[in-house]
Amino acid sequence: MDVTFKIRRQNPELPGKEKPYWQEFVLQDVDPTDRVLEMLHRIKWEQDGSLSLRRSCAHGICGSDAMRINGVNRLACKILVRDLGERIQVEPILGMPVIKDLIVDMEPFFDHYRQVMPFFVNDDPLPADGRERLQTQADRELFDDSTKCILCACCTTSCPSFWANGHYVGPAAIVQAHRFIFDTRDQAGKERLDILSEPNGVWRCRTIFNCTPACPREIEVTKAIGEVKLAIRKGKTVGIVQPNVAH
Amino acid sequence: MTSLVLTVRETLRYRGAIGQWSWVLHRLTGVGVVLFLALHVIDTSWAVFYPDLYVKAIAAYQSPIFTLGEFGLVFAVVYHAFNGIRIVIFDYKPELWRHQAQAAVVVLALTLLVLAPVFLGMASHVIDFYVTEQAIAGSKIMDVVVFSIIEQLPFIAGFVGVLAAAIVLAALFSLVRGDASQRGKYPQASPVERFWWGFMRLSGILILPLVFGHLALMHVVQGVFDITAAQEVAGTLATNGTIGVVPSAVEFVFHRWSYAAGGVFVWRVYDLFLLVLVTLHGFNGLRYVLTDYTSFNDFARRTSVALCTVTAAVLLAVGAAALFVPLEKDIINEAMAATAEIYELRGEEVPEELKAFLSEDL
Repeated sequence: MDVTFKIRRQNPELPGKEKPYWQEFVLQDVDPTDRVLEMLHRIKWEQDGSLSLRRSCAHGICGSDAMRINGVNRLACKILVRDLGERIQVEPILGMPVIKDLIVDMEPFFDHYRQVMPFFVNDDPLPADGRERLQTQADRELFDDSTKCILCACCTTSCPSFWANGHYVGPAAIVQAHRFIFDTRDQAGKERLDILSEPNGVWRCRTIFNCTPACPREIEVTKAIGEVKLAIRKGKTVGIVQPNVAH
Repeated sequence: MTSLVLTVRETLRYRGAIGQWSWVLHRLTGVGVVLFLALHVIDTSWAVFYPDLYVKAIAAYQSPIFTLGEFGLVFAVVYHAFNGIRIVIFDYKPELWRHQAQAAVVVLALTLLVLAPVFLGMASHVIDFYVTEQAIAGSKIMDVVVFSIIEQLPFIAGFVGVLAAAIVLAALFSLVRGDASQRGKYPQASPVERFWWGFMRLSGILILPLVFGHLALMHVVQGVFDITAAQEVAGTLATNGTIGVVPSAVEFVFHRWSYAAGGVFVWRVYDLFLLVLVTLHGFNGLRYVLTDYTSFNDFARRTSVALCTVTAAVLLAVGAAALFVPLEKDIINEAMAATAEIYELRGEEVPEELKAFLSEDL
């Protein structure tokens, strides 16, 4: 099948192309099960070598090829042509400065990430056997979902609150904080809750639910944010995380 | 400004699910209601402080433009209320999130379901007015609106004053606190935001019966046209037109606020609760909206916060003052001259008894 790609491009270094513009490419012999990332490669290799995009593993693990594809944030390496149709629109994720074409400056995103202390804190001496700090399966289950984050920024850049206000810490950083806040072995929960209760912390979330379907790892992002809000409201982390109520 | 334009444009372009559109509608209806609230608190207080202006304001409200606005307002309140309940549920029970899209549809359906009979009730007042009252020519109606608005122009100075005060406050605050972006890298916990988050949800729920009661009483049981009609004032035992020579909007308010059951001015207490909760909820909501779009500039953000704070304080002060003032029957007589003016503007015959009263008064 033939597929038309409409790509939002921009090259601040090239006179005449500093401002964003749309460019169309038509690809022939596209298989419905081809992934968008492969098609972007074909455009770059066969038609226009100047097309710039970021990708590393190309298998949905590294999280470097987040893009807005047909209006929704996705990983280009995980979405198939057959799920999109014969006209596919690709543009950079929104809310961070565009460096070139589909590549954005991720530094503001990682800056928010670092703010929430995304590392394990426990100053107690190691257990007698000198190995793991053990935890029950039920305790591990509490933050299982938020361990899946690959920091692709699909959620944060799907959030209208983040588009409006780049200071908002954003869904991804809150998910990362959630992973440690609800870990019973971690000891810095209070510090993280304090950080997230500042004006540009969790309170900027308006429960819009754009982040949850945007996550390529199917993390229940809005639920995680809601749990962090409740933990701050109630001043405790125990008894907050509840199992999902199924459809 | 780029931030606002960008956000609006991209919100329309991003293919978010129904939750995104619920949020857009929640914001639009919220801002709409809060703007009306500012107008409404000020002009209702005129019934006590400037009776003639109140008569003219109500005359303007009885024009088709405002009738359309009234339907919009009722839609906005009902949708905002139902979607607010949805937000509260998913905020306190995040584990239910899989049902949020369904809930957004239910909110829309419930809104329409409730609005159908409500709009019919409201429309019957409008139809009654145009069928039983003398038909008023279109140009005359605009005369009334333009006249009423011109009379009230000086009060725009009040809004300019509030804005100026907000800018001054923001400037002072910036001098004292300095540039927020220059402070420590790690942000500080904010018990203030934590409080407001809970308050918005609690007040939202508490307001529901009050607002729905108010809407039922003022828009369905009796409409804006009944405020000046010779009939019993709903929620009281008094009849409009029994104190003044003709019924008037001021007398309507007089009866409402004079009605006491068991020694308590029921409607003053009711209106006070409504005033405080709605003003705080509304202007904190407006602060959320404004600061979302002004966060790129410290001064703009502070001005937004100050603007919401000052406006809310002014409305609370003016509204509470009107509610606490002991009512004198004089205000009803003060409204008579303006009532005659409205008759004339509408091209209607000024009733003989009103003419006689006014000439006596002179």
